[in-house]
Amino acid sequence: MTDLFQYVPGNTPLHRMNPITKILLTLSVCIAAFLTDNLFVLLFLLVFDLMIGVVAGAARKAFSIFRGLFKVSLFLFVLQALFVRRGNRLFWIITDEGLLTAASVVLRLLVVCLPLALVLTVTQVSDIANAMVQVLHVPYAYAFTLTTAIRFIPQFMEEMSGIMEAQTARGVEFDSQNFFKKLGMLLPLCAPLLISSVRRTGATATAAEVRGFDLRTRESGYKRYGFGLVDLAALLISAALITGAVLIP
Amino acid sequence: MIRAEHVTYSYRGNVQTVRDLSFHIQKGEFVAILGENGAGKTTTVKLIDGLLCPTSGQMLVNGLDTAKTRVSERAKQVGFLFQNPDRQICQSTVREEIAFGLRAVWGKKETDKIEERTDELLRLFSFRGDEEPFSLSRGQRQQVALASTLAVKPAVLILDEPTTGLDYRECTRIMEFIRSLNETEGTTVVMVCHDMEVVLDYARRALVMAGGQLLADGPVHEIFRDAALMEKASLLPPQIIQISGQLGGEFASADDAETLSDMIARAAERRQA
Repeated sequence: MTDLFQYVPGNTPLHRMNPITKILLTLSVCIAAFLTDNLFVLLFLLVFDLMIGVVAGAARKAFSIFRGLFKVSLFLFVLQALFVRRGNRLFWIITDEGLLTAASVVLRLLVVCLPLALVLTVTQVSDIANAMVQVLHVPYAYAFTLTTAIRFIPQFMEEMSGIMEAQTARGVEFDSQNFFKKLGMLLPLCAPLLISSVRRTGATATAAEVRGFDLRTRESGYKRYGFGLVDLAALLISAALITGAVLIP
Repeated sequence: MIRAEHVTYSYRGNVQTVRDLSFHIQKGEFVAILGENGAGKTTTVKLIDGLLCPTSGQMLVNGLDTAKTRVSERAKQVGFLFQNPDRQICQSTVREEIAFGLRAVWGKKETDKIEERTDELLRLFSFRGDEEPFSLSRGQRQQVALASTLAVKPAVLILDEPTTGLDYRECTRIMEFIRSLNETEGTTVVMVCHDMEVVLDYARRALVMAGGQLLADGPVHEIFRDAALMEKASLLPPQIIQISGQLGGEFASADDAETLSDMIARAAERRQA
């Protein structure tokens, strides 16, 4: 799970693409998913996501994210199916509209989450920050905040697993089947996680300052992020996805 | 007390982190596990504690298979002091912190017993019960973690790099406490340590690991004197052993001396004779 947001080196067209194009492509998939209610379009977008995973050479990761999300989706599907009461009743309290809404919510969740994880698989976080500063003229402090938040996710997950391991060694049984009991066991662990996070953030801020964080401007980066044919193709695909989502009823 | 029988472990079924480990640790022993980073030391102690289950082979602690024993039962048998005390500490006062592990192992109903044992440990470590653990120094936090680990009186105590980040005084205080526990209570101690001086001062037996395999098992002095073994395991013996090794030809009888003054005295005796 900790390698979910980790960059995987490669030389695929997606790796070579401008980081901003990748973000735009990701955003357009998300926008298209929210613009349509058509289940077939959502299914197409899901297949498109998985294809991106294949092209990026991260098919295994894409499918493992899909598998991981599937369990959450199933829970969400049941909830939606139970609570949406509009439409014709099919059986018990389940309606046709409830099932359709549940399916579209679940598909939308899968379509939106997959490219967000995949974009970090094919792009280094530092490249996202630098390209945002260079191409989009975003102030470096904001780009740094965003990328630091992303970079801290696997570290926090690793820290949490270390804390849980330390507590297991003290006799805390995290393998309990009772959800509320498990929640009660996890709550006290927020303290060490929070304290270690604050300490880590302080250390990162100090390290950034001693390396001249405030002197960083748009011209500081030595790497240039150009646009090529692959970027043009990606932008055309992005436009096509959004247009398709709007036009197909 | 601890018996490893052909234990192999691989993370996520990939590369084998430890391979075919077999050793036997008797009750009351003080054993150090040595090796460079990535040698498999921490994996080995986690296997002893049951935090990891062997991919193949068997790890037995007090006759119980760690893979089949309940977490709370394992915690009664084995105490684990981690390198980073901040991962262990999760309560707002030292008293609560010590009682936390006791509640997990003895159950919440044993209020009087838990209270009594907590008071005993607070006295032993000279802590104020209402102190906030996170406002203490690194060494004191390590002592709080040690106190809460020892609260359940485990038969085996595992120390994973317990002296990292501690100054000399803090390190000595913790290690002396562990030594007295080992000598008076007969607690079996298994320690992973990169500080060879600490190993020489406190451990009596050493297991040397490299590439996930056990290279050697023997008394600490003999292990440190084996230059070829040290080289193979990428270890540097303590300074006193290095000096005595270099002077070995001239002062052959002095190489088992524990302190420099002891070695010089023996060498002088030899010269006079």
